[in-house]
Amino acid sequence: MARTESGASSDPLTVLRGLPSGQRVEIRDASGHAWNGAIVPSHELSGSRIVSLKLESGYNVGVAIDASTAVRVVGAPPSARSEPVPAGRASVEGDPGGWITLLTTGGTIASRVDYETGGVRPVSDERDILAFYPELEGSGAVRVIPVFDRLSEDIGPADWLVLAQRVVDAFRAGARGVVIAHGTDTLGFTAAGLSFLLTDLPGPVVLVGAQRSPDRPSSDGPSNIEAAAAVARDRRLGEVVVVMHAGLSDDRFAVHRGTWVRKMHSSRRDAFESRNGPPLGSVHGGTVHLLPLVRPPSAGPPRVDGPIDENAGLLWFYPGLTVARARAFAAGVRGVVVAGTGLGHVRSELIDWVRSVTAEGVVVAMTTQCLEGGADPYVYATGRELLRAGALYLDDLLPETAYAKLVWALGHADDPGRIKALLTQDRAGEFLRRHRAEGEA
Amino acid sequence: MKVGLEVHQQLLTGKLFCRCPAELSDETGGSFVRRLRPSSGEDRRVDAAAAFEASRGYSFRYETGPVDCLVEMDEEPPRPLSEEALDVALTLALLLDARPVDEVEVMRKIVVDGSNTSGFQRTALVAVDGAIEVRGKRHEILSICLEEDAARKVREGRDEVVYRLDRLGIPLVEIATGPDIQSGPEAREVAEEIGALVRATGRARRGIGATREDLNVSIEGGHRIEIKGVQELRKISEYVEGEGGRQRALLAVRDELRGRGAAVPPGAPTDVAALFGSISSGPLSAAARHGGPVLALPLPGFAGLLGPRPGTEERLGRELAEQARAVGLRGLVHSDELPGYGVTSELLARVRSELGLADRDGFVLIADASPERARTAIRRVAERAGAAVEGIPGETRDPLPDGRTRYSRPLPGRHRMYPETDIPPIPIPDARLRRLRSGLPERPAARLARLESQHGLSRDLVRQLVYGGVADSFETLTARGHAAAMVARLLVQDVPAVPARSDGTAFEPSLEQLGQILSAASRGRIGKEGIPSVLRALASGSPDVDSAIATTGLEGLSPDGLASLVDRIVRNQASMVRARGGEAFSPLMGDVMKEVRGRRDGREVADELRKAIARVLGETSSAPPGAGT
Repeated sequence: MARTESGASSDPLTVLRGLPSGQRVEIRDASGHAWNGAIVPSHELSGSRIVSLKLESGYNVGVAIDASTAVRVVGAPPSARSEPVPAGRASVEGDPGGWITLLTTGGTIASRVDYETGGVRPVSDERDILAFYPELEGSGAVRVIPVFDRLSEDIGPADWLVLAQRVVDAFRAGARGVVIAHGTDTLGFTAAGLSFLLTDLPGPVVLVGAQRSPDRPSSDGPSNIEAAAAVARDRRLGEVVVVMHAGLSDDRFAVHRGTWVRKMHSSRRDAFESRNGPPLGSVHGGTVHLLPLVRPPSAGPPRVDGPIDENAGLLWFYPGLTVARARAFAAGVRGVVVAGTGLGHVRSELIDWVRSVTAEGVVVAMTTQCLEGGADPYVYATGRELLRAGALYLDDLLPETAYAKLVWALGHADDPGRIKALLTQDRAGEFLRRHRAEGEA
Repeated sequence: MKVGLEVHQQLLTGKLFCRCPAELSDETGGSFVRRLRPSSGEDRRVDAAAAFEASRGYSFRYETGPVDCLVEMDEEPPRPLSEEALDVALTLALLLDARPVDEVEVMRKIVVDGSNTSGFQRTALVAVDGAIEVRGKRHEILSICLEEDAARKVREGRDEVVYRLDRLGIPLVEIATGPDIQSGPEAREVAEEIGALVRATGRARRGIGATREDLNVSIEGGHRIEIKGVQELRKISEYVEGEGGRQRALLAVRDELRGRGAAVPPGAPTDVAALFGSISSGPLSAAARHGGPVLALPLPGFAGLLGPRPGTEERLGRELAEQARAVGLRGLVHSDELPGYGVTSELLARVRSELGLADRDGFVLIADASPERARTAIRRVAERAGAAVEGIPGETRDPLPDGRTRYSRPLPGRHRMYPETDIPPIPIPDARLRRLRSGLPERPAARLARLESQHGLSRDLVRQLVYGGVADSFETLTARGHAAAMVARLLVQDVPAVPARSDGTAFEPSLEQLGQILSAASRGRIGKEGIPSVLRALASGSPDVDSAIATTGLEGLSPDGLASLVDRIVRNQASMVRARGGEAFSPLMGDVMKEVRGRRDGREVADELRKAIARVLGETSSAPPGAGT
């Protein structure tokens, strides 16, 4: 049993768990070895009877606690942590260069290490964001508005609407451009969703993320957000784009159209790529270069083109997909995007499933699960039969862009024919329809 | 004097956090550029050393090659820690009677000098509280850590530092001793003993930079100074004693400064560029010409204490100049070296009067085209001069080839460590320790005693085998039947004598090659004297031992050929042989060896020569020649 200073006896682990983080202790094991250090939160994957100590050297070690462990509390309880005071913000009022708005949603770009759980945890505190990213204000004033406090896997279509409204609010308030800091996992989906939900944009809407958390000296967050801010100040642009690293270096960034972009790598800085076509531009040495095909700013006013309907699905075809599973997946939805093989195919027994659900009024939209290229129904018999069974072919839309567009279209029409018309109509420059060999426009 | 060591030894286990081989390679493909900035740890404080490095504003270029992957590029999360490397560290913990931790927690040690792409070095404390005995004295082992090696610096420009990724992630064990070493020679002995212990595991990497020592040195009244990355064991003593001397000299200067009541005044330095407009030479003129400032920092009471002092080469002026160099300046000029550097006595007098200085006051001048850099430099110089009145500031210093050291950065503190959350903690169960304990390698001292008695070699020679890290090769080769004395000579004398390659890497022949050379010598195909030439031929590119022997032309003298060669030489000198008898052996041996050129063993040649002399003398007498030579 542990001997505490009060002389009471109890399980030493209970004693240690009851002490505040930062409390200095001496833990003596059965062999007489003593560990001296401050209690720090244990990793969530630590052993159940392990207590983590930070030693004087700065190292953390895990110490196993059993009934024979002696615990001695050393010194007074730790005093409360003092938070650093972040730099003050420049006034956004009357800035002749115009200010931009930063909407934060959480994600790696706005996360710090959670030493308690061992993972990265989003922060929404505006002061923390500006303390992380002093470079944000390097080229002009920034108004920071926290919107969500979530990792991006928890951001969905309903949140796109909220973000779209904040974007419109920012432009109406006079922002020159808007940057949205977002987790990278679903950043492509949100970029596509906003591309359909926002119309008549008077300036750029730039989504940006980080593949390395800002608590790391090597984080790509600072340079990405600096590049995103430069694009958000560009007066030639009036669409939703994604700005991230263009390569492994911290000095070149790509500007991707929101509907063409996909996360192609789980961890690299240059994970985001425009598919089927080139990026819209680049940022290098603080200068923004844009191709002529960018959508120019609109005279406005900007508007949220809602509503949406989330009764939509995205189904990744695989060779073992049975009719029963496809039917179960489609239950209750008004539309399904199918990421088919090759030019947009599924096994022949699923053609009947397509026929039956489309007959029930469900929209079935075909795309390709290939990483490049588009869907085409005319080349193979399967495609032609799917077309006759009622499937809609969405050309070179990425499956996730098609899904975002479906969510938007379902909110705008009840009639399947009308929904299909909305889906095939170009709304945000999402159809490329011209694929060059070398990625040139 | 108190000295503590940190011995770093690369391990031969593959990299620590990815599955790349632990090899260096000069083959490079692409490169990429990064910037780093300090970040704060659990307590949200930024480490002083990290903040200093970040203030330099460098960008870093990394060259990639065949022995790195996305992990070294900081583009992918680390793989689990190499269990093999952890076994080596735990084995060392057991050999050093240390207490392994119950759960290993990998930490991030912030290092923003670019040597790690991530901006931190992954490191884990594996065991504490061990001991090692060296020459009857017990030295405390504070810690045994397992960490990843840093990237290799290739070159350094004014704004960019270039690194290669091959070395990044190679496992290092770091063994730290307590500050209980009292002299340079003792430091070297302890380092040798620890090095031999690591090599006893059979998993120590060899070659340039595979072993590096950090030396923590302080003297009474001084401060802990860390001399980082000493690669040559034999220089440890020199660095330690040199640092002791530096601290003693600086303390003497401090006492003098205090006696004079010297102090560095607060306030901005004076820009005296206007006075320097007219000078046409020296380091100050260039900056003045480019319109940069010439900043003067008055140092009241410092006159005569900046330059060389009697009995020591250490001087305060050099310490101040190191601060200016640390931010990219070429140096500074201080009052003890003026007039000079293009500054005439008249100009000196004007500067002194401009600054309002008395005779006992000194000053420092700094000039640079960039006013910002000049100001940063003078601020650092002022801080350092102020510290000189207090004593010795704690620093990290780089070892220089000439045995001196140079300021590198402030001492890092504990704020540079925070948990590596990408790696789950690793429990160390008793079963693992039991398994390792049952297969512990022989300790160096025990091996030394065993080899000595087993092979009848001198203690000194065996010591060189064990502490030189070649005892394994020795035992393998002798087990194959090669003569112990010949193997020992080959390993401790002949192989190390082969000059390093042009790229600086040491020549490391394989055991197979060494065995073939030994066989060639014992079968009489080459003489023992020919071994160094064969090794040199191998080192300079011969593909195998046979072609090395062919290249050197050591082959092709048969025993009969030797006999006839010796007979010919002796008969040519027959009259001398008859006149001098056995005394003729020595001069003739020289002539014979010149022609044999290492193709036959020396002893065999001597025997043959004795026989030939005897034959000639036998025609007149029967006395045995050359006895005793």
